Amino acid sequence: MLVNNEQIIEALWETVYMTGASFLFSIIIGFPLGILLVVTRKGHLLANEPVSKVLNVIINIFRSVPFIILMVAIIPLTRLIVGTSIGTAAAIVPLVFYAGPYIARLIENSLLEVDKGVIEAAQAMGATPGQIIFRFLIPEALSSLVLALTIAIVGLIGASAMAGAIGGGGLGDLAITYGYQRFDTVVMLITVAILVILVQGVQSAGNLLSKKVRRS
Amino acid sequence: MIQFEGVTKTYHSGKQEIHALNGIDLTVETGEIYGVIGFSGAGKSSLIRTVNLLERPTNGRVLIHGKDISTLTSKEIRDTRKDIGMIFQHFNLLNSKTVFHNVAMPLILAKTPKNQIKEQVKSLLEFVGLADQAEKYPDQLSGGQKQRIGIARALATNPSVLLCDEATSALDPQTTQAILDLLRRINREYNITILLITHEMGVIREICDKVAVLEAGKVIEQGSVYEVFTNPQQPTTQRFVRSVMNDELPESLLTKIQDPAQNHSIYRVQFTGSSVGQPLMSQVSREFNLDLNVLFGNITELQGEPYGNLIVEFSGSLSEIQRALTAIRSDSVKVEEVKNYAS
Repeated sequence: MLVNNEQIIEALWETVYMTGASFLFSIIIGFPLGILLVVTRKGHLLANEPVSKVLNVIINIFRSVPFIILMVAIIPLTRLIVGTSIGTAAAIVPLVFYAGPYIARLIENSLLEVDKGVIEAAQAMGATPGQIIFRFLIPEALSSLVLALTIAIVGLIGASAMAGAIGGGGLGDLAITYGYQRFDTVVMLITVAILVILVQGVQSAGNLLSKKVRRS
Repeated sequence: MIQFEGVTKTYHSGKQEIHALNGIDLTVETGEIYGVIGFSGAGKSSLIRTVNLLERPTNGRVLIHGKDISTLTSKEIRDTRKDIGMIFQHFNLLNSKTVFHNVAMPLILAKTPKNQIKEQVKSLLEFVGLADQAEKYPDQLSGGQKQRIGIARALATNPSVLLCDEATSALDPQTTQAILDLLRRINREYNITILLITHEMGVIREICDKVAVLEAGKVIEQGSVYEVFTNPQQPTTQRFVRSVMNDELPESLLTKIQDPAQNHSIYRVQFTGSSVGQPLMSQVSREFNLDLNVLFGNITELQGEPYGNLIVEFSGSLSEIQRALTAIRSDSVKVEEVKNYAS
């Protein structure tokens, strides 16, 4: 094996860091967008056709560019934001651009599952749009939202491994430089195993949490 | 008091215009239980939703306690909605929250102090008979219990009007009865005006004071429940009345009684008020030389008054029949020939 344990642990940390940080920023962007996507729909709380249309187009554009291309395409922007286009911190920028719109769609889906009747009941009680969103829509969708965000994290783990290919570090980097380019099958197997365990762990935690918040 | 004045509602579906409401004029007096009945698609749910502006009328006005609500700002609309409780066919409860939290919701929205919420919710749950279920979740309860939560929630803000949107349509007959009893209690004890929509004539008969029959977005008949049940004018109304008081005679019976050798006529005799308790038929049979054959009989209660409906075959000479009919006709006894059945 061409790498030592420390290198593996460092790579794991980089993956966790990239995934975690980009997840956080993606939620900050994706959550409000997801809510906007829902409430600006026709016949919804704050129906607004122009806003809804523009949002949809923008999100679709980002969603249609494959991550590997997105990563390269926004290098100038990445440089502008973090000062460099190489390294773990630099990988976070394209990851956020990738996962933000994705999370917006996932959140939109979850919120749309909430029974229209609940919204109607909320309106009939004299709730403000804000109250309807935070006291009715989100609590009712919470369990489904947790599952959706779990999907997003798993997606980010995968994408972060790809970011390794352009020098972002992490397990993906390790697998490519040692496992693939230097034919070290053991390293390849170890990174894959770690990724599998990571995804399994995240998914199980997500399932558990989702069940827990079903009733709050 | 709720007044509808020339209310119309038009939906646009592509290029098509759908007229859900076609000029509704209705007045619901304070303290009344007013029922609107119609088949699905008649416009009932659009109508009830114009009262709290979940649907905005395309034309016309809805006045609540004399105030035109379409001119209100969104803040004023929200305040008005707090004075109008609403319950739904599918309850529309928050499944992620406890029974307590569901009932507390309108109070939380109104920023009521916590200890006051606790007290109020407790007494509301006691009123609807769910005091021991406060910590459960809606999906652990039966349909009837869920509707009780809905009712408690609707009453939390102490409204003067309660809208019931097919509130019993998803419930079994026994549970329906219990919920209707509860609604009547709310009406009596708190003097809350109730406007309900339904497709079940039984609901109207059970608790309503007045009824309007809706068809194709128009009120085709309205009046007191007593009037409409005892003397329905429109074919649709007659169908609804027949759905709970079916007095149609079976074909086989009709062929049997059609004996050309005999003079017989069939009459519907409607008794109201005090006449219900009298043995009128046997008196007639004794006094006049007639044979009476009761083909159908039913006694029911409308707005707390007994109402009897008999279909009787009178056999005998024509003059005797005429004399008998004149004798029994009175303010509380109505007689009409059932023409279709005569041979």
